[in-house]
Amino acid sequence: MPLDTPEPRAAAHVAGDLLQSPPTVSPAHSNYQVLELFSADASLSNLPVVDDKRPVGIINRNTFMSTIARPFHREIFGRKPCTAFMNAAPLVVDYHTPLTELSFQALSAGESVLSDGFLVTVDGDYAGLGQGVSLMQALADQQAEKHRQMMDSIHYASVIQQSFLQSSRRDMAAALTDYFMAWEPRDVVGGDYYYFVRRDDGFFVAVIDCTGHGVPGAFMTLIMASALKQVLTTRDLHDPAALLGAINRQVKESLGQLSRDELEHDDNVEIRSDDGMDCAFCWYDKATRTLTYAGAKTPIFVIEPGSDEVAVHDGNKKGVGYVSTPLDYQWENRRVTLAPGAQLYISTDGIIDQIGGPKRICFGKKRFKEALLKYRQQPMTEQRGRLLDVFHAWQGENARRDDVSLFGVRLP
Amino acid sequence: MQNVYLAATAATPEVDFRFDTHSLSLKGESYPENAQAFYGPLLEMTARYLAGLDHARIVVDVQLAYFNSSSTKLLMSLFELFNDAAVKGNYVTLNWHYDEDDDTILEFGEEIADDYPALDFVAHALVA
Repeated sequence: MPLDTPEPRAAAHVAGDLLQSPPTVSPAHSNYQVLELFSADASLSNLPVVDDKRPVGIINRNTFMSTIARPFHREIFGRKPCTAFMNAAPLVVDYHTPLTELSFQALSAGESVLSDGFLVTVDGDYAGLGQGVSLMQALADQQAEKHRQMMDSIHYASVIQQSFLQSSRRDMAAALTDYFMAWEPRDVVGGDYYYFVRRDDGFFVAVIDCTGHGVPGAFMTLIMASALKQVLTTRDLHDPAALLGAINRQVKESLGQLSRDELEHDDNVEIRSDDGMDCAFCWYDKATRTLTYAGAKTPIFVIEPGSDEVAVHDGNKKGVGYVSTPLDYQWENRRVTLAPGAQLYISTDGIIDQIGGPKRICFGKKRFKEALLKYRQQPMTEQRGRLLDVFHAWQGENARRDDVSLFGVRLP
Repeated sequence: MQNVYLAATAATPEVDFRFDTHSLSLKGESYPENAQAFYGPLLEMTARYLAGLDHARIVVDVQLAYFNSSSTKLLMSLFELFNDAAVKGNYVTLNWHYDEDDDTILEFGEEIADDYPALDFVAHALVA
């Protein structure tokens, strides 16, 4: 008689892939004979009962052994047919039953499938036995494989997203000496994005939070990056507010995110997106030491040298590209003069809105500003670590809620 | 109008819309993967409910510790519906519950009060 073959670890897709060929008995076999089979092979956990080719039942080792061990049971039932202690209503499935369907059938059949297994047939004839544990293993493998495929794809998407950041990273390193840029997408890829351009007369920096995170967020960063690129072909970097206005128009028109009044004719579009970005756009002019800032729901934080306060400069309260933002909305430029040693920080809402602390509430601007002040004397790369430590300590056991981006620079 | 009750999940708030007593509440956190799918039906129901009202006193209780940006947009649409209802002659109270140490949520509430002046906005600090 063939022994139980080790269950196959190659990807299982149908019930038949889980098939094992343990010894079988017929309904005419006695319980003594079943006892002999179980005693001879300790690894035999379930014994199919087959009448000619018809699947009849499954005798589970533990059920059988504990029953036959009761007082006088061996004497009374020993010679009787083995059907006495079998599961007479096992799950019987066709060889080609897909795993997912099999798992639903197993669930509705109840616990017995886990212990007794299930019988597999080909054209109604007995073909073998599947073990409950093999089914669980196959489902776990399938799940792990799907997850692996998805993560592979997201990791590759991350390569693409990061390559988009490369020129900004290069320019940042060339233009600035004492600075940091922390960029931590929640899910490998994300909706946060930054853009930096170095020019002879200064630099342009944008910190951007597109709607969403993960894959849809990353899609939006690419749309926004291309809108920004497009806009920069006709406008220059010195007027951040004008750039926001132009991107707003571009995004609203290209994604069809117009309000009812703005639609020229009634498009019967069922699914309409309402995506855009919150961001801070800044141009720093070296000669005049002036920062020109335009913000869409994203403030900037400035610490003047020697100051014990963090000055918060708020932008406008409209996001860029959204249906509720008018097509011709105009952002305002705000000008801040930065003395040598002044420090500028720009963050998306991922830090400030993170839930944590003893009361599970938002990190908030107050605690953020306290942290900035506490470490303001340190070199910027050092500050990056300290600030992220404070943030991670606040987050504690709580799940990350959003992507996190934080830019900091100390001006020479 | 059928009342709506949805239990809270990690990423969606508890929704307790008792249309029959004009008392509606949202409680918890909101960051579903697809905010439109979660809020779309609620917005639709609320709009239908409000359409049939005149001179009603409606009380809305909101106690949210976190909501992501896509939820924010849809929550704003919800408050806009209430604001429109208030403009049309209903009386809508928005009770905004926030933790006393949570300036972010308080500030957000104040923005709603500014944007939707027809609502009777009342901020309630939760003191531990």
